[in-house]
Order: sequence, then C-alpha cells, then structure tokens
Amino acid sequence: MPVTAPRRPRTPAAAAKRPPADRNRNPAGAVRKLAIAAPFILPSLIGVALFLVIPVVIVLVLSFVQWNFLTSPRWVGFANFSTMVKDDHVFHALLISAYYVLWNIPLQTVLALALAMLLVRKMPAMGVFRALYVLPYMSTPVAMAVVWSWMFNAQNGLINHLLLLVGVHGPDWLGSTSTALPVVAMVNIWQYAGYNMLFFLAGLLAIPPQLYESASIDGASAVKRFTRITLPLLNSTMLFVLVTDIIGSFQIFDTVYVMTQGGPGNSTDVVNYQIYQTAFQNFDVGSAAAMSLLLFAVILVVTAIQFRFFRSRITYEIA
Amino acid sequence: MATTSVTPARPNAAAPPPQPRAPLQMTLKILKYSVFYGCLALIALVFLGPYVIAFFGAFKSEANLFATAPWAPPHSLYLGNFRTVLFSDDFIRYLGNTLLVTCALTAGQVTFGVLSAYAFARLEFPGRDALFSVYLATLMVPNVVTLVPLYTMMREFHLINMYWAIFLPYVLGIPYTIFLMRQYFRSLPSDVFAAARVDGCSEWRILTRILIPMGKPIIVTATLIAFVFGWNNFLWPLIVTDSNSKQVLTVAIAGLQSSFNDQWNLVLAASLVSLIPLLVIFAVFQKHIVRSLQLAGVNR
Repeated sequence: MPVTAPRRPRTPAAAAKRPPADRNRNPAGAVRKLAIAAPFILPSLIGVALFLVIPVVIVLVLSFVQWNFLTSPRWVGFANFSTMVKDDHVFHALLISAYYVLWNIPLQTVLALALAMLLVRKMPAMGVFRALYVLPYMSTPVAMAVVWSWMFNAQNGLINHLLLLVGVHGPDWLGSTSTALPVVAMVNIWQYAGYNMLFFLAGLLAIPPQLYESASIDGASAVKRFTRITLPLLNSTMLFVLVTDIIGSFQIFDTVYVMTQGGPGNSTDVVNYQIYQTAFQNFDVGSAAAMSLLLFAVILVVTAIQFRFFRSRITYEIA
Repeated sequence: MATTSVTPARPNAAAPPPQPRAPLQMTLKILKYSVFYGCLALIALVFLGPYVIAFFGAFKSEANLFATAPWAPPHSLYLGNFRTVLFSDDFIRYLGNTLLVTCALTAGQVTFGVLSAYAFARLEFPGRDALFSVYLATLMVPNVVTLVPLYTMMREFHLINMYWAIFLPYVLGIPYTIFLMRQYFRSLPSDVFAAARVDGCSEWRILTRILIPMGKPIIVTATLIAFVFGWNNFLWPLIVTDSNSKQVLTVAIAGLQSSFNDQWNLVLAASLVSLIPLLVIFAVFQKHIVRSLQLAGVNR
C-alpha cells in the first residue's frame, strides 16, 4: 500500500456516514497502526491461514482427485461425490452418527441442566460437588474408554456383576449391535455432563432471584416457574451448549476407536471413523475428502437450524 | 412477562415467622437435607466410580482380577502391572513424549493467543473486525475436514514422525481460546488502558504490566484448555506418528488395548498412567479449574 497515495476526495455524504473513522482513513496512520498490531497478530494469523484456511482449500481440491498419498493425483471431477451418493456405506455412516447424536445430546443436556439446578442452591459443600461432577471432563477419552470397556466386559465387568446381584444376566454390551452404540454414547455423557453443567450453572446464576420471588408471590407453580422463567432465560446458554455439543458429537472418534472399532457389524461405524479408515487404511484420499465435506455440510445445516430455532424465540435482556 | 414486575407492597408475605421452630419441622428439615445430600453423593459416586474401578483393577494381578469382584479393593498394592507396562513397553518414553509435546503446545498456544486476543480486543488497526470474523468462521470447520490436508502438508514438509508434526497445527494459537480471551479483555475497564497510553506506555508494557495481571483468570482457562487438549489428543498423533520413538500415551494405550488382549490388569494400569497427571492437576487447582471453566461459559 503506497503510503503517499493522494487521499480520495471526500464528499460531505461520505464524511457524514462515518465521521469518527477519519483516523482510519489516513493511510500513514493506518500503516503505523498495522505496524504496531502486526507482531501481536502475525503468529496466530500464520497459524490460522496455514493450518485452518489453506487446508480447507486443499480439501476442496482433493475431493476432485483420486490419490493414495504416493502416486501422482489424478483429476476425476465429481466421481468421488457420485460414488459417495451411490455408496450405501457413507449414507449408513451418516445415519449411525445421527443415531449417536440422538442418544447422546438429549440425555446429556437434560442431565447437565438437572445437575446445575441441584447445585445452584446456596448450601454448604456445593463447590465440592461441582468439582467432583466436572472431574470426568479432565480425563483422557482414550484411557477412559479402556476403563469403560472393562466395566462393560461381558463376563467380568462391573455392570454385569451388579446386574447379577439383582438376578439379571447382562448382555455382551459391546459385542451386540443393539447395545454398542448406546454404551459409547453413555460413556460420553458421563464425560461431558458435568462440564456442560458449568455453563447452565453460569446461566442460572445470571437469572435475577426477584423473578422467582415475585412469580411465587403471584402463585406460579414450580413447573410454571421452570418453563416460563428458567428455560426462556437460559435460551442463549442452551443454544451455545447444543451447538457446540452437536458439532462435537458428530465428530466422535476416540471412544469408538478404542471400544468398538466401528463394530460389531458396522453398528458403531460413525462418519469420523469411516473417514479415518478411508484415508489412512484404504488410502483413498479423494473419497475421504469428499466425505469430510459432506460431514461439514451436515454440521452447517444442523447448526443453522438451531440458530433459526433459538433466534425465532424471544430472548430476554436483563439489565 | 407479567411476572417480571416485583410487588413491593407485601415483601415478606411468603416468609414464615422465624421463631420458635416446632420439633417436627426440624426433623423434616434434617430429613430433607439428608435426602438432598444423599442424592448428591450418589451422583458423585457415578462420576467417580470408573476411576475407583480402574484403581482397583490396576493393582490386582491377572489371576486376582478375574477371581474377585470388580468393586472389591485389592488385598495388597500389587505393582507388577505398572512394572510390566512401564518397563517392558517404552511407556516411560511415551510419557516423556506426551509431556514434551503438551508443554510445547500449551506454551505456544497461550502466548500467541494472548498476543492476538489483546490486539483484537484493545488495538485499532485496519481490517481488524474482518479478520476476527474469519477467525470466528473457522470455528465452524470440523477437525476432520482439515485432517487429510494437514497430513499431506506435514508429509510435504517432511515432518511425519517428528515432535513438530504433533503440536505444530495448534501451537500458534487457536481461534476458540483467542475468542474467549478477547471477550474477557474487552470487558476490562478501558480507562486503565487509556491512562497508560496517555502516560506514554508502549503496547508491550501495557500487555505485560496491565493486561496479563488483569486477565489472569481467562489466561488460566486458556492454559487449562490447551493442556487438556494436548494431553488427550489422539487422532492427530495417531496419524502423524508411526514409530515407537515419537509415540504419545494415548496412541500407545489404544495400541495396548489390542496387543494385550484380555490382560485387563495391564491395560488398566496403562490407562491410569495417563489419567493420574490430570487427576493431580485437578486436585491441586480444583477450585480454580471450576471457576475458570465457568468463565469460558460466561465470556461468549
């Protein structure tokens, strides 16, 4: 950018549009400001450009080629996408991921909110319980998946031992197509329910207590207070928790890799696991790129729907 | 909402007379409290249970493990599993690799993140808001989308099987924590920064003398997020390492799971090796961690 470039002639209308931005329109000042900001911004800018933006561009290109990481890539046009549409596996994996989200998210969110409502009271030792409930968030998913596999072990696991106490012969949880996916979902609920509780706690604490007091005085029942005060005022918390959790849920990998390897059959063959296999075990780079773009599109659509849903409701601003 | 209007006319209508209290009421109250805390303790047991079961299993010999109930504590602290895992299988090296990579990742991500968050929050420069919206947009990109391209880039740079490959994509700062810190930095009182500038403070001095001390809570949050992420990261190290010498704990544990098939005592011991450092961090910084994770929720 030439520093000495002549200023554009300013019309009065343009000046009226953004009067205080005058300083920014001084090219010399702008350059000076850039020079001050550059050392602060550059490292992360390089990181974001190199490891987030450029890879997205590369993945777009890769989805149009056939490549196995070794030979030179061959341009195949839309072939990866058309085989993906015809391939039942991809659709199946997407469906499994959707099942997983449906097992995971509703339970996890309800549980997190319930825990937050239990611990929001001003009573002794609440801090200790908060900490204990958040603890699983800090655990390594891979290690915890190992521990849970042991607990759900058909012969010697804790769960079936406990079931035997009440006279029930538990199933082979991870070896059966009907139970493997819910078990994987349950492990993740265990890990993240307490973490999400923190967000709901913050949301609940931001609700002015006078609202509940006056509602009680006016004779509103506990259910009414929950549906008319608590839930509407948690709108933005709910949106944040659901959006981030659903995005994360669609990308479940670690637990599946350790606990089931996509099986039994292909009952836990979620999208992320299939992308991993396609790229790094079958070395079909083009197909993996196309599949990851499909997942991206699905996540974008699901996120947009949530924003629409929550935006269409009234949000209450409390000063 | 009709219920928002507080009626000050009868402020204490719902409050019962404070004294004296009937003994029946007292008993009911005690009962209510014990049921409440009983429930809380039961829930805590569910959250802690897997750790306890892992501890019990890791300190039992293989024969003992299958002969006793999973909830039975071990008779003695049998260390054989840890000995086998730590010394037979290069586990010490994986532990060291994980520690090295995680510390490098955390140090870089937090340092560069603080710098960028400061610029986005407190500096004025052309294109700032546009650039920040690009950062925000990248939050929508699922990790798996960048997985294959990043791998090909690392191959091009000849970084496969290097420590660099494991932490490079995350070390220059990530948009999520930059966003969190920027929100917090913006909420700090701007008079302090203005006063410092009037007094001729350079931006670097403002950063080190004002911003970092005042922004400490959110910086701790960012550090915690980075460390837990680095320590637990699995899929990326799984892809970019294929030799023992550079392997990290998570990848090694997942490998053990298949190679020590059914030797649960060993696999549980290995898992504990990975869980214990995080448990220790949690125990030491417990109060701070809960508060700082909550900060991540408030500062959106």
